[in-house]
Amino acid sequence: MIEINNLVKRYGDKKAVNGISFTVNDDEVLGFLGPNGAGKSTTMNIITGYLSSTSGTVKVNGHDILEEPELAKKEIGYLPENPPLYTDMTVKEYLDFICDLKGVSKDKRKKQLDRIVSLVKISEVYDRLIGNLSKGYKQRVGIAQAMVGNPSILILDEPTVGLDPNQIIEIRKLIKSLAKSHSIIISSHILSEIQEVADRVVIINKGKVAAIDTVSDLSKRLSGQTKLLMTFKGPLKEGIGKVRTIPGVQSVVPRLADSKFSQLEITIVSDSSADIRSAIFYMMANESWPILEFRSLDPSLEEVFLSITAR
Amino acid sequence: MYAIFKREFLSYFRSPVGYVAISIFSFLAGFIFYSQFSYGTVNIGSEVISLRSFFVIIVPIITMGLLAEDKKRGTDILYYTTPVSLFNVVAGKVLAAFALYAVMFLNVVIHIIVTLACGGQFGVGAVGTIIVFFFMAFMFISMGMFASAITDNQIVSAIVAFIFILITQLLTMMSEYAGTAVTSLASTIGIKSESASSAGSAVKNFVGWFDPFAKTQDFRLGVFSVSALIFLLSIGILFLYMTYRVLEKKRWSQA
Repeated sequence: MIEINNLVKRYGDKKAVNGISFTVNDDEVLGFLGPNGAGKSTTMNIITGYLSSTSGTVKVNGHDILEEPELAKKEIGYLPENPPLYTDMTVKEYLDFICDLKGVSKDKRKKQLDRIVSLVKISEVYDRLIGNLSKGYKQRVGIAQAMVGNPSILILDEPTVGLDPNQIIEIRKLIKSLAKSHSIIISSHILSEIQEVADRVVIINKGKVAAIDTVSDLSKRLSGQTKLLMTFKGPLKEGIGKVRTIPGVQSVVPRLADSKFSQLEITIVSDSSADIRSAIFYMMANESWPILEFRSLDPSLEEVFLSITAR
Repeated sequence: MYAIFKREFLSYFRSPVGYVAISIFSFLAGFIFYSQFSYGTVNIGSEVISLRSFFVIIVPIITMGLLAEDKKRGTDILYYTTPVSLFNVVAGKVLAAFALYAVMFLNVVIHIIVTLACGGQFGVGAVGTIIVFFFMAFMFISMGMFASAITDNQIVSAIVAFIFILITQLLTMMSEYAGTAVTSLASTIGIKSESASSAGSAVKNFVGWFDPFAKTQDFRLGVFSVSALIFLLSIGILFLYMTYRVLEKKRWSQA
């Protein structure tokens, strides 16, 4: 359990973190969301003891990070934005070194490392130099490093950034499996990514907490913002006119138009619970305008902030 | 501390750095020993004293990466977020660099064995120079480590260490110059020649007080001075303390 109380970090006149408070419960995955520069990494660096806050407290399982740093740090495994890897060591040597740093005794070491290595799936690169590994493997070695010493809390700063889609899915799976026995804070600037793995979400913006909510409540709040994107073969102006006539449609904005096809962004009224997709489909079919693409648009972070701060 | 020491020491041999440093030292030591040997009179003490002049090249090579490399790679975060203390980090790293020096010094041990085997002398004066050598190595390594703490660029770190050591090695000369300069300056502005020369020698003594080479020059004669060793040790510890403060300050940085 982590209790964060009124954290402030000042850089000169600028407050990178301005009064952030929240708690992370045991065995909970907390998504930490915010645009770039919102103060996510700074907050995580403070929680892990890498930086000191200007004011405010962080308690890790009851231990203050400044007053009892060694006890607090034992409870935390941290994967920073750039994994702290020694490229001149093999994975084995590196994890052995981390065991030394975290004071894992020799007799427990082999068992613990075996478990971690099979969990994060790095056994095939165990004897290779870290500098020669792909980004996905480096990220996994970074996660393995965080897990050494059996910390009850894992703090992962943008663990999927820069990975290819397959690797992202792998890492997500890994995080889900870790969630069974760890409290996890995971940061990202992509909403959908957090929604998949997290139980609760803390959204921060400009150094302040904009919202703390469960994922399902957050989705409910955002349901008023449903948007569809449709690309079809047909005239743009008539298309807009026709789609507007469908009940429940709030606005239709043209996205793109050329000789081959038109693209519309359709916003649905917030109180409309009806699914208008079939209505649109039949209407387009009537007009013989084939639909080439039809999908719902994820709300962007900016829209999330707007909808949250508007209420 | 052992974990840091082990990693740092082995990392010298994962890159060319350790081999380069050992090669340079072996070449220099071997060359000096050979020229003495070919004349038929070997003096281990003067070999060790000659080797001291190369601190200025070898120490920056082995200290430049100690902390700068960590900062550049982002691995310094491990020192702050794991239970290891910064004191242990500093101690482990300085010991690793020192151990590399000890390995290099094995050259001289071989020379001693050869000398004794050929019926040469290895007196108490030579032991004195070796003691001074290691205390100086510690002091210069600490300076180099501090230079490595204040930047994340290895080249800058090496240059700063080079300048620190160069200044220390030139202190004997600099104290002479400073003394003469003060004396002549004082006479030109009309101070009596007696007072002028005493002012000059006061400045010379003051600057010279910091000169570790002058402080330890009698060791080669077998005259050991504990206070001189404490002086070397203190300067070394002072730089290690400053290194520690630089690392600690990073956590509180406001910029």
